[in-house]
Amino acid sequence: MTPKERWLAVLAGQSPDRVPMDYWGTPEATRKVRAHLGCRTRWDMIERLRIDAVVGVGPEYVGPKLPRNTDMYGRRYRSVDYGSGRYVECISGPLENYHSVDEIEANYTWPSVDWFDYSVIPGQIRGRKRNYPIRGGGSEPFLIYAELRGREQAYIDLVEHPDIVHYCLDKLFDLCYENTVRIYEQIPGQVNLSYVAEDFGGQESLLFSPAIIREFFLPRMKRMVDLAHQAGAYAFFHSDGAIRRIIPDMIGIGIDVLNPLQWRSPGMDRASLKKDFGDSVVLHGGVDNQYTLPFGTVDEVQSEVRDNIEMMGQGGGYILAPCHNIQAVSPPENVVAMYEAGWEYGRIY
Amino acid sequence: MDDILTAIRTAVIQGNAGEVESQVKAALEGGMAPKSILDHALIDGMREVGAKFEEGEFFVPEMLVAARAMKGGLTLLRPRLIEEAVEPLGRVVIGTVRGDMHDIGKNLVGMMMEGAGFEVKDLGVNVAPEQFVDAAKAGDVDIIALSALLTTTMPNMADVIKKLDDAGARQKVKVLVGGAPVTEAFAQRIGADGFAPDASQAATLAKSLVA
Repeated sequence: MTPKERWLAVLAGQSPDRVPMDYWGTPEATRKVRAHLGCRTRWDMIERLRIDAVVGVGPEYVGPKLPRNTDMYGRRYRSVDYGSGRYVECISGPLENYHSVDEIEANYTWPSVDWFDYSVIPGQIRGRKRNYPIRGGGSEPFLIYAELRGREQAYIDLVEHPDIVHYCLDKLFDLCYENTVRIYEQIPGQVNLSYVAEDFGGQESLLFSPAIIREFFLPRMKRMVDLAHQAGAYAFFHSDGAIRRIIPDMIGIGIDVLNPLQWRSPGMDRASLKKDFGDSVVLHGGVDNQYTLPFGTVDEVQSEVRDNIEMMGQGGGYILAPCHNIQAVSPPENVVAMYEAGWEYGRIY
Repeated sequence: MDDILTAIRTAVIQGNAGEVESQVKAALEGGMAPKSILDHALIDGMREVGAKFEEGEFFVPEMLVAARAMKGGLTLLRPRLIEEAVEPLGRVVIGTVRGDMHDIGKNLVGMMMEGAGFEVKDLGVNVAPEQFVDAAKAGDVDIIALSALLTTTMPNMADVIKKLDDAGARQKVKVLVGGAPVTEAFAQRIGADGFAPDASQAATLAKSLVA
């Protein structure tokens, strides 16, 4: 099977020839693994480790010229040094000082899909990438909303300014929806996955109440899921953390894939996820990125991969992946051990 | 008099900042002791908020609005508490470690500690180890609380403890650590005095450390 066939078999509820393996990593972490293996490019590394990676497609920004360190939403960024590398962090949002929908409407220009050139997309899936599943479109608007308003204010808005949240989420979801439609139009029938994401979970429990999730998010996310299904794509739901309480609702709106399975968090143990939800969704992720990959030993990585496959891989229904982007702090030896163990044990089922 | 304390407590739990302020003003004008308002309305209210969080009834938004309402009341009380020489339960210096810009969790911990009766000095995010050391050396600090969301910045917590040691200030303070990837085992390994998995439990732990 090609990586694409392997993914599609799992997504269709069939048994693959082996457990598919996905890759999520920061550019720095990827560079470290590549250097360790002596691979020239990311794709060389993917092939070397026999990873069933996903090819992302998207348009090119051709909109109004942006000021330095500022994105199309007006979010400003700075680069932060964390000791062994750098990352980019939002430092201010354009909607921080508004107190009403009227003020926002009067003063703020929302980005438009017309600021993008979608004609570049067919060129993004040529060559060897044809054998890999394709991801495009999707949504994760609260992540953006939190940076437009300031994170703490965004959480407070859910209680004190529901009208502002509803207004902004409508704008952001509409943008995601139209963007996704245009991506699908460029390569009809070829997009396999759309990420319909939103971070609902903290380390120990949900960040928002189920009532808030049902009021603000689920109807809008369902519209994205339905759009994916109409285009023949699968809806890939990502939410970090302890989200057990909301999984039945997510299945109710039609998600096809549940990611990332932070199994050390309360309620997220692997065997019970498989038992309770394995018939309804494909489980994706499960290799712990808070302890095992960064701080565990090679032995611990190998046994975790084996446990994951034993607990979640039976009859298909599981895709092995890290529980989020692998960070530069993770030793390349652990990353390589993860994929080698995944290849070895993944053939059993 | 109990009615007004109940009203303040209820307004804290509901996150009704305006109501907390007007009722605290009324209580002070009515001659109620500031320490009573602090203990039996604000602190009791936040204790209830913490319990609701631990029980899965309250989530981050509800905690944030409650904490903000509590802070509004505390701002009104503070000059009177100082006037009457009411000592805080203890003094906490809190911050997110170097290289990490995340502050929601740290802010919640600070608010819950303040709501438990501590005086909290917040050094913000991306805080250099030296700033924690300076705070500890300056004295009058019981607890240094360190936050990190990233696995890449967690090691910087160990660096703060080492620098406290080097400066001879380690024994003067208790060091608490927390944040999504932080565990009890990690806390022990780096020589911290305590770890809590959430903001409510962090406040309970802080109380036990100064008891």
